[in-house]
Amino acid sequence: MRSLTIRDLSKTYFDAYAGSHVDAVRGVSLEVTQGEFVSLVGPSGCGKTTILNMIAGFIPCSGGEIRLDGRAIHGPGPDRGVVFQSFALFPWKTVLDNVGFGPKMRGVPKAERDRTAREYLELVGLAHAADRYPNELSGGMQQRVGVARALANNPEVLLMDEPFASVDAQTRMTLQEELTRIWQERRPTIIFITHDVSEAVFLANRVIVLSKGQILDEVDIALPRPRVWDKLHEDAAFKSLSGKVLQLVRSA
Amino acid sequence: MRPEGRLKSIAYFFAPLLALLVLWQATITVFDVNPRVFPGISAVWHAAVTSIADGTLIQHIGASLTRVAVGTVIGIAISVPLGMAMGVLPAVATFLTPLMRFFSVLAGIAWIPIATLWFGYGFGAITFVIFNAVFFVVAYNAMLGVSTIPMRLRYAAASLGAGPWRTLTEVLLPGALPNIVTGIRTGLGFAWRGLIAAEMIATNVGLGYMLFMARDFYRTEVIVMGMIVIGLLWLLLDRLLLAPLERATVERWGMVERT
Repeated sequence: MRSLTIRDLSKTYFDAYAGSHVDAVRGVSLEVTQGEFVSLVGPSGCGKTTILNMIAGFIPCSGGEIRLDGRAIHGPGPDRGVVFQSFALFPWKTVLDNVGFGPKMRGVPKAERDRTAREYLELVGLAHAADRYPNELSGGMQQRVGVARALANNPEVLLMDEPFASVDAQTRMTLQEELTRIWQERRPTIIFITHDVSEAVFLANRVIVLSKGQILDEVDIALPRPRVWDKLHEDAAFKSLSGKVLQLVRSA
Repeated sequence: MRPEGRLKSIAYFFAPLLALLVLWQATITVFDVNPRVFPGISAVWHAAVTSIADGTLIQHIGASLTRVAVGTVIGIAISVPLGMAMGVLPAVATFLTPLMRFFSVLAGIAWIPIATLWFGYGFGAITFVIFNAVFFVVAYNAMLGVSTIPMRLRYAAASLGAGPWRTLTEVLLPGALPNIVTGIRTGLGFAWRGLIAAEMIATNVGLGYMLFMARDFYRTEVIVMGMIVIGLLWLLLDRLLLAPLERATVERWGMVERT
């Protein structure tokens, strides 16, 4: 079953500073099947975040269309969960209430959504932090909450916009390993945006390289799972795939 | 707070007041000040005891606090939705901001003459002055609060299934609350000062009126007693109601630095 279909997507901004139109995204077509883990990788300004924002429905597209299970998308919706680079947790809600926010919007009774929230906090290893507020957590913990919050709403696609870019290197590796584990357990459809080549290769089944608003090429990542850094770090296949993607990105 | 910490903070609060009392009595005694110019502590104390015993002080305090409560509640009830609407709709905010600034400056006793024409002397005119002082500050802060909520939080809510109403109650209102609480605290400060001034002019009961009447009879001890009551009431209001409110919400969420 085709899950997400993007056809001839484009986005044109008017750059008031330059006084001209800028084509941020040009004719991008992409199919993401249900349960797939796809990384979009490319340098700053390649249009990857713009594509994600259009899929999320935060900004309208200038041309083309995005369909989820055949339905054209209009604006943001709970069928597309988003994990933000800057976490975007509600500071006035406890961790539990942040994670239970989606179910609350669907009218799920308090006891049931608390149970759901605890289950997903368990999944990201934060069951003990349920009653704390986001500002009391480290960056890595906040992003675990962000992932749990998006997953607890059971979206059809999980959109992740450089979610691990603002945590330290060690925490980032742990979060990457946790994300692959969660993906294996739950099989959500994930579109993961990053500029980090090794992150893209480590996580995904398929890496799509973007350049100047267009898809340059894509690389299938047939590495076995579970993926852990201790093993993959020196793995020849991982190195060669990373090298291939890196070359594409640098040629961009 | 630990008991010894609480004790310490109470000590820090009262020590300067105590020093002022000592200085006051010493000055009166040393320079043999005429009570018509400035009263001694015992005279003020006596005035306080008398006015509490005959119920007049409670009556004045009651009248003043009722006006403040009514004016503030009406002010908040109208200014919060208006300010938030301004924050959500940038065009409205741009249009109204200069007016809000203008009326914020004007808010308070400048309205008394016209207020007495509209509402007559008494409750209406004074409550209107209170309302005015609270309204503009709170509306402005509510607007500021909403417009400073990061866009990503609204995006997050929308992608978790929140519609416009839920976004209002779950994101915009709590997000603007720190500013709203600050606005209420500031606005009530203005209102309290405006109240006393308005009561001197436009009524026949209330703390401001009590002060002003005492002046006619050279009752300096009543004037000073009234001033002390006015100051203490504000400190109590701020310490026991407003500051804890700010602490309970804003600081807990880490949305402002603890001071």
